[in-house]
Amino acid sequence: MHCNDHHHENKNYSRRDFLTKTSLGLGALSLGSLISPVNSYGQSNFLNLIESEKMKLPHFIPKAKRVIYLFQSGAPSQLDLFDYKPKLNQMFGKEVPKSILGEQRLTGMSSGQNSFPMAGTLFNFNQHGESGAWMSDLMPYTAKIVDELCFIKSMYTNAINHDPAITMIQTGSELPGRPSIGSWLSYGLGTDNKNLPEFVVLVTKGKNGQPIYSRLWGNGFLPSQHQGVQFRSGKDAVLYLENPPGVTSGIREEQLKSLKKLQSIQHADIGDPEILTKISNYEMAYRMQTSIPEVMDVSDEPQYIFDLYGEDSKNPGTFAANCLLARKLAEKDVKFIQLYHRGWDQHGNLPRDIKKQAKETDQATAGLIQDLKQRGLLEDTLVIWGGEFGRTNYSQGMLKPDNYGRDHHPRCFTIFMAGAGVKKGITIGATDDFGYNITERPVHIHDFQATLMHLLGIDHEKLTFKFQGRRYRLTDVHGNVVNEVLA
Amino acid sequence: MLIELLDFLGSLHPLIVHLPIGIVLLTIAIDVFMRNKNNSVQRVITMGWFFSFFSGLLAAIFGWFLGDNGYYLESQINIHKWSGIAFVSICFILWLLRYTNFRFSKSFNRSVNLTSIILLMITGHFGGEMTHGQNYLFENLPYTKKKISVTTLSESKRSNNDSLFVYEDLIHPVMEEKCIACHNQNLASGGLNMSSIESMIKGGNSGAGIKNGNPFESLIYKRVSFPHDHPKFMPPTGVPLSYDQIATLEWWIDNGAKKQMPVTLTRNDPKTLRFMELQYGLDLREKTYLETLTLSSPSQEELKSIEGEEYIWRFLNPEQSFLDLKFTKKKIEINDLLKVQSIKNNITWLNLSDCMLNDNHLSYISNFPNLTRLKIQKNPLVTNKGIEALQKLEHLTELNLYGTRVSNNTLITLGQMKSLKKLFVWNTRITDKDIADFKALHPDVEVIAGF
Repeated sequence: MHCNDHHHENKNYSRRDFLTKTSLGLGALSLGSLISPVNSYGQSNFLNLIESEKMKLPHFIPKAKRVIYLFQSGAPSQLDLFDYKPKLNQMFGKEVPKSILGEQRLTGMSSGQNSFPMAGTLFNFNQHGESGAWMSDLMPYTAKIVDELCFIKSMYTNAINHDPAITMIQTGSELPGRPSIGSWLSYGLGTDNKNLPEFVVLVTKGKNGQPIYSRLWGNGFLPSQHQGVQFRSGKDAVLYLENPPGVTSGIREEQLKSLKKLQSIQHADIGDPEILTKISNYEMAYRMQTSIPEVMDVSDEPQYIFDLYGEDSKNPGTFAANCLLARKLAEKDVKFIQLYHRGWDQHGNLPRDIKKQAKETDQATAGLIQDLKQRGLLEDTLVIWGGEFGRTNYSQGMLKPDNYGRDHHPRCFTIFMAGAGVKKGITIGATDDFGYNITERPVHIHDFQATLMHLLGIDHEKLTFKFQGRRYRLTDVHGNVVNEVLA
Repeated sequence: MLIELLDFLGSLHPLIVHLPIGIVLLTIAIDVFMRNKNNSVQRVITMGWFFSFFSGLLAAIFGWFLGDNGYYLESQINIHKWSGIAFVSICFILWLLRYTNFRFSKSFNRSVNLTSIILLMITGHFGGEMTHGQNYLFENLPYTKKKISVTTLSESKRSNNDSLFVYEDLIHPVMEEKCIACHNQNLASGGLNMSSIESMIKGGNSGAGIKNGNPFESLIYKRVSFPHDHPKFMPPTGVPLSYDQIATLEWWIDNGAKKQMPVTLTRNDPKTLRFMELQYGLDLREKTYLETLTLSSPSQEELKSIEGEEYIWRFLNPEQSFLDLKFTKKKIEINDLLKVQSIKNNITWLNLSDCMLNDNHLSYISNFPNLTRLKIQKNPLVTNKGIEALQKLEHLTELNLYGTRVSNNTLITLGQMKSLKKLFVWNTRITDKDIADFKALHPDVEVIAGF
């Protein structure tokens, strides 16, 4: 099967295309369709023209074939995990200097504070590995594999609140409605496994905090087969996938065959590309009836693999269990595997809460990277760990010697990556002594997205989709590849 | 004192030249467009030619001074100078003829007018080339290819940068354009001949031109990097050497100023590497085998062999010639491997993991000439014997063997494969000691055997 088959949909007319593209010759067209209704749709040269402008994908030999994005929702505090600022500890409780704070906006949660006392971290920092990367004691397992990692300490974003920020990092725009990264990749690169979706989402169960909603893995204006599919923990990984009681697999197959016939007639008749999407969705669901139970079954995994991911990994729906599933999905060549772990939004009681969060994610993250590496998967899998923005260097609310909170901080945060095409054991970018502003190599969300696509063999400026009269892309009109990251 | 005065007057030349241009055009305009030429009009035209002549003469004299101060090459000035003089002469003759009321025919008048305008254009154009540089006229036209640098390399040279040499391709062309006109075997201004490395090192009257390994002691480097108003700044006329040209010269002298220095040597210096990329468009990073390989895309007919359910594949490059192929079924048959023989040249990445692959099967993929990445992990039937067949894959860089039954003998086999860079042997019979021995022998191969 040709992997780029899905592009052929573009050659058909959607309702919108029909109305816009044919406005000049609607009369002539209707005459044509009187003679042969089929010809009036699918064989438009106009859309073929758009298609031929698009360079053939990938644009260059890719480094990565798939991505595992360990998204830390709520924004983990870079100052307590990665970005070591001894100055903040020396000046514990003193006001953030005006020259550092500047004039930029703060959230309504802390802008009314009379005082912005600097909160040094309560956790010990050490350098690790040959690369000497700084990590706090909160992540002892990840600290052991820093030589595999590439830290970017100078990430920044536009948004100051969770919803626009997470929408931004997932879709390239603060406004909802654009396709998610995984959808773009599915649209651009197609599938490597016909039995599983290209874009799978796993959300840690039982976590509180900022809401996570399906539009974050939505296809936006792309054909709907490119949307992310959420796999739940427990018995039914994908809802309504099982046959109803009394319906055998054979009956279901017959049913789908007949349905496909009807749908094909419909498509031949009116040529709506969404009909093809529907057909492919039904077929995918049928294939998933066998492929999903297989990939979700971890009973074959030896004990030492569970040990690698941590004790949680036997408990379905935890971050660790999801990491293990992510590896299994990566083995099956799912293109984009997105995990969400909520609960990092620590406006108060940060020292207590971050410990818990770190414990839930640390060992499994390190375990996943190690497991991928020993299987040779890290060669062509890109792993990303990070949130939607950073946290402030001053305390939100009362600063106590043993307690503080941190507000949202879009002006700098840290993420790390590992795997395909990314340099190992390096740190890119830096922030000032107060951990407030970027002093070296700023990396915007769009730059990060451009780099991600580059690693997958895509020129982010060339993967576009025409919608509402203009061509959209993940990075819109922004984004530069961060060459320093590339191995 | 006098010389400075002449220099000053010379610098007025670009100002004064616009006077005769304006006057002569106005005069001709009056001559052509005023139908009814009474006496006073005739007198205006006569005066017009006089002022054209007079201002033209002034401009020519000032121009002579300017040309004399040595900023311009004789060859550059020549046409400008002589067409200018011809123009002034024509103005003078016309004025004289009109002043003496000499009668001449209309056609003679027209041709003289035309000649003076043509001379004016020629003079003006070549004057403009001196002040604005060659190609100034067309360089800003839309759709013309901008000339970025005189050292810009042709596409074919850039893509084949293994055979580029620093002196021959980057330095000599600059010398050719900027220096050798005066510093050659015959002319050798200042006793310096720059047409060969030996003569550049030898230098001229002021001493050696190049001191190996020391650009700042090398006269040639010093002269081109002086401030532009320094009396010894070189080249004395025309466009000075650009930053990239000077920097290349510096790197070359710094590194021994040898003839046979390939451009790829700059690889060792990250700064120069980046600079080569920015200024010359040279991507000197070491290329992988695939980056140097050109292949034709498989035909539709050939692709039919992998149309079925057994395989999933994608192209890895926009030219659609490199194939990433994966077997999807649980059990592979020899027939499955026979099917893909027709596209064996195109298969660059191959994944045959977890499909009951055995030693016999491996001999069917040993003749894939462009295979660089092979994944045959999780195939417990694969043993040392099968791996021997893989030795023929001379471009294989990555081999995944985890979960097979290979042992130390495989390492010995693989040790002979020069292209191999990465090897995955977790969960095999290869012991830690085997790996340590292998790494000692082959330090540039990364062996991953689990944590």
